[in-house]
Amino acid sequence: MPDPALALEIQGLTKSYPAGHLFWRRRRPAVRDLSFGVHPGEVFGYLGPNGSGKTTTLKVLVGLLRPDQGSISILGQPHESRGWRYRVGFLPEHPYLYDYLTAGEYLDYVGRLFGLPSAVRRERARELLERVGLSRSADLPLRRFSKGMTQRAAIAQALINDPEMVFLDEPMSGLDPIGRRLVRSLILDLKARGRTVFFSTHILPDAETLCDRVAVLGRGRLLQVGRLDEILRVDVTHMEVLVTGVEAATLESVSGLRARQAMGERLRLEVVEASLGEVVRAVERGGGHVLTVQPVRESLEDYFFRELGEEPGPARGLED
Amino acid sequence: MTRILAVAANTFRETVRERVLYNLVFFAILMTLAGLLVRQLSIRQDEKIIKDIGLASMELFGTLIAVFIGVGLVSKEIERRSLFPLLAKPLGRGEFFLGKFLGLAFTLLVNTGVMTAGLYLTLGATGAPLDAGLLRAIYPILLSLLLVVAVAMFFSTVTSSALAAVCTVGVVVGGRYADVIRNMREVLPSAPPWVVSALYNAVPNFRNFDFKDRVVYGDPVPGDVLLWVTLYAVLYVGLVLLGGLLVFRQRDFQ
Repeated sequence: MPDPALALEIQGLTKSYPAGHLFWRRRRPAVRDLSFGVHPGEVFGYLGPNGSGKTTTLKVLVGLLRPDQGSISILGQPHESRGWRYRVGFLPEHPYLYDYLTAGEYLDYVGRLFGLPSAVRRERARELLERVGLSRSADLPLRRFSKGMTQRAAIAQALINDPEMVFLDEPMSGLDPIGRRLVRSLILDLKARGRTVFFSTHILPDAETLCDRVAVLGRGRLLQVGRLDEILRVDVTHMEVLVTGVEAATLESVSGLRARQAMGERLRLEVVEASLGEVVRAVERGGGHVLTVQPVRESLEDYFFRELGEEPGPARGLED
Repeated sequence: MTRILAVAANTFRETVRERVLYNLVFFAILMTLAGLLVRQLSIRQDEKIIKDIGLASMELFGTLIAVFIGVGLVSKEIERRSLFPLLAKPLGRGEFFLGKFLGLAFTLLVNTGVMTAGLYLTLGATGAPLDAGLLRAIYPILLSLLLVVAVAMFFSTVTSSALAAVCTVGVVVGGRYADVIRNMREVLPSAPPWVVSALYNAVPNFRNFDFKDRVVYGDPVPGDVLLWVTLYAVLYVGLVLLGGLLVFRQRDFQ
């Protein structure tokens, strides 16, 4: 029986794809034995590197893929029923919309699939295009849209039915900083209106900013579900010290210094907490002085690399 | 039904905005007009030549439209993933599939109507009487085009658009020469009879829809023959669409 207190409930979900050639067909699991729930009104982040099974899960949830095993209920209704489809919105990853339609025509079309009356469709399309910053492009054919504009139009189509729950697959993908901020504010606005948002991302700062809870996926398996402060280590991992007026070479022999990074005339140091005093003294002996000292706790990115056993790259995401 | 009609209306809009459709209609009308020139090469055969070329153009270009747009209807949606947002909505896969078929069927109806008008205008320009009997050849052509669309949609659910186009053209050509399949054992005695029989029965016989010569030469096409052809088309279209629908409903969209 579906739990009516959950907006989304997944029990033992497994999905595999056929792999191999004609004479040696086998199934390659994409996600294995996933079980978790999403509460109504929360922003739930679904995190994991590429190939971890995020998109597969989302496609199973919205009915594009059929699960091998497991049960799903959405908004208290079994997955097999059609009722929940009237109450959810979906943004696929890298959306492609009909290039022969204008954005206004496309929204009108998807509105018809929900059986919305013509006047409501017109009003919603106008409102949504304004909300995603496309009101001036409503009459342009979608083929003339940039990648970011297409992403915004696709977000608008996901909201045409004023859904109670929204599934967004990499909603920030292809967006410039202004677009990303717009999507962040849209997600927060949905939350403020009591809607449930389930979104996948590999851009971890977005998850850290927006999510009430997250599920972390690695190689098709669920690694963790919970609030970020439950998942991340709350202890200080190290101190970040910004100094100036000192050569990096003069600090070479100082113990407890984990990393150095030159930033123009300044030097950013990662220091073990217990060695902070020694490092500060070494900087002053070398003729420099300390600008800032900041305690650093584990970030979601650090957690990822700890759990998945991979070294972080220079970017603040798992990949570009 | 509202959702099926929404998909059908959008499909019609898509096909109308595809340039390939205009090109084909343009060439079909051009070929009909070419009949005006060709008639000067023959003596007292003007009307027959125009009818012959007009009906043949209608069939040929109609088939090309049905194959290439029919194949693209579903497979392009799958390959470009434009159906992903739609199938997450309260739109059944069956509704999507039938809506696509109805949309293209309506396009073909309009397209055949335009070409028919073109043919009558050409005949009118030569002073020939407006022969309503032509419709008895045009109606079966329209039925055959619907069958081609159904076959194209079936293949587009199971394979890529390029391969689906090849398979559909194969079925259409095979269906045009169904008699050759039936008599295959005369040239290939080693072919097992059951294979020949299965092939002959599986491929729709497009000759059944061909009344061009009878109409052009003034032979009657009785109403009960047209009724039989209609039933044949309905049955075949229904079966082929059902097959396509079953595959489409089970498909995973990766």
